[in-house]
Amino acid sequence: MRRETQNVLLVLLGGALCKIAWNGDYLRYVKPSLLPFLVCAAVVILALGVISIGRDVRADRSEHGHHEFGYHEFGHHDHVGRSPWLLMLPVLAIFLVAPPALGADTVSRSARAVAPQRSAFHYPPLPAGPAPALPMSEFVTRAVWDDAGSLNGRQVRLAGFIVHGAGGATYLSRLVMSCCAADVTPVTVRLESRTALWELPQDSWFQVRGQVVPGSARSGTHFTPTLTVSDLQPIRAPSEPYEF
Amino acid sequence: MVAPPTAPPWRRITSLEVLCAVLVLALLAQGPLTQLLDIPAVRTGATVFVAVCVQAMPFLVLGVLVSALIAAFVSPLALRRVLPRTAAAAVPIAGVAGMALPGCECASVPVSRRLMQQGVPPAAALAFLLAAPAVNPVVLVATAVAFPGEPRMVLARFLGSMATALVMGWLWARFGQPEWIAARALRRPECPASRSAWVVFTDAARHDLVSSGGFLVLGGLTAAALNVVVPASWMASLTGQVVLGVVVMALLAVVLALCSEADAFVAASLTAVPLLPRLVFLVVGPAVDVKLVALQAGAFGRGFAGRFAPATFVVATGCAVLAGVLVLGGAR
Repeated sequence: MRRETQNVLLVLLGGALCKIAWNGDYLRYVKPSLLPFLVCAAVVILALGVISIGRDVRADRSEHGHHEFGYHEFGHHDHVGRSPWLLMLPVLAIFLVAPPALGADTVSRSARAVAPQRSAFHYPPLPAGPAPALPMSEFVTRAVWDDAGSLNGRQVRLAGFIVHGAGGATYLSRLVMSCCAADVTPVTVRLESRTALWELPQDSWFQVRGQVVPGSARSGTHFTPTLTVSDLQPIRAPSEPYEF
Repeated sequence: MVAPPTAPPWRRITSLEVLCAVLVLALLAQGPLTQLLDIPAVRTGATVFVAVCVQAMPFLVLGVLVSALIAAFVSPLALRRVLPRTAAAAVPIAGVAGMALPGCECASVPVSRRLMQQGVPPAAALAFLLAAPAVNPVVLVATAVAFPGEPRMVLARFLGSMATALVMGWLWARFGQPEWIAARALRRPECPASRSAWVVFTDAARHDLVSSGGFLVLGGLTAAALNVVVPASWMASLTGQVVLGVVVMALLAVVLALCSEADAFVAASLTAVPLLPRLVFLVVGPAVDVKLVALQAGAFGRGFAGRFAPATFVVATGCAVLAGVLVLGGAR
């Protein structure tokens, strides 16, 4: 592969990373805290491409055939083989397709939920107010571990996307990310309602208001608590689709 | 620009023209490409693929910059003065030096290749390659955070990974053949006196980035495909199974290709699996996974990766089990 092509590829790659950092699409793939590193990487890649293009142009202009900088040892061909062509793939994926955030497909692919990690032994009482909004992961952890039953008898609000499971059950789900989208694990809550839940489209986002069925998160239910739904509002998919 | 007089009447098609053609074709095919995403498995795979690339790119850039700094500013003579004369004695020093590179495995491949080019014995550079992603402070802190109730997990991971790096380094010093490493990996870029350090730095970084970036993408592609294909029920069936657990978790570490800064959280979430197999997962993952093997094949040649990766897999699994039995006191 020619040096020129490699440099163009670098500029494209840096541009693709800049694009997702700028328009916020990077949140579909990685944690928000990666942003500064992502921007630095994009700038370095762009700069390396641009600097090399500029140097090649000047070298060509200064005198054809006079190898001013001494890096034309192999003519125009750098010995890197054909592997750099693969750099086209993420560039095209980002610019043309922009894959969406993970959703119901990942949840149904995952293993049956195991007990969430016990993060504290004493849970503070829920925030005051009629129906506090809770992260899904906190709701499930409390439902499984909190012996004091801080959730019992309280209305809460949860935000997540719809997953239809086997046997006609409908779940509200959220994916928890530790580093990037390759390592997400799902948290799910089974929804129970008088209205027909199976009509809700898979992967659509809802804010659900409801109350936990005490003792529903046991090993027999794969630690998936049940929520009695009192209200269901469609919402826009959040810009930060994952919990952390 | 004047064409040389001997040029044929038609110009050869160069890679630049191919690139333009690919771009135009991709633009024209954008509709059908987007429709592919209607298939859930393809959509999930595409997202995981881009995620692995985006996540790894900053670390690869860091590794490439460190490697270029070594090329431009650290002379082979200086390195030779710092390191002991024999390869076997240099291995532990390289292993400890791995603690200083706070990145994941993508960063350490270009750096260790550069160390070899600058005259560091391959055994020591390989010990560095294996130690750096596994024993650096960022990874150890992440492990401590992921296993709040098990502080000994951090020590066990450190010992298992360090032992893997040292054993592999010494094995290479004893049995390794120089010709297993592709000649192009060890060829130093020619350095005419006229080149300033800045030119050497940018050119080395550019070259490393282009050559290893492609292999990173290959690794990301493999990891994404396996992520979709490998049934997650593998893990659910491991409750209480230690021997089977060790084998399956070691294989999972290879195929999932998680970042060494993230794998502790994934291991912590597999509460049904005993601790020892999860430790194996943490020690094998940073030492050998599909992304890393692709990067190694790119940097050192296929002949190298074909020998080094299986050996590392066996050694890492053994060291992890040993560290687990010693530190954790059994399977648990």
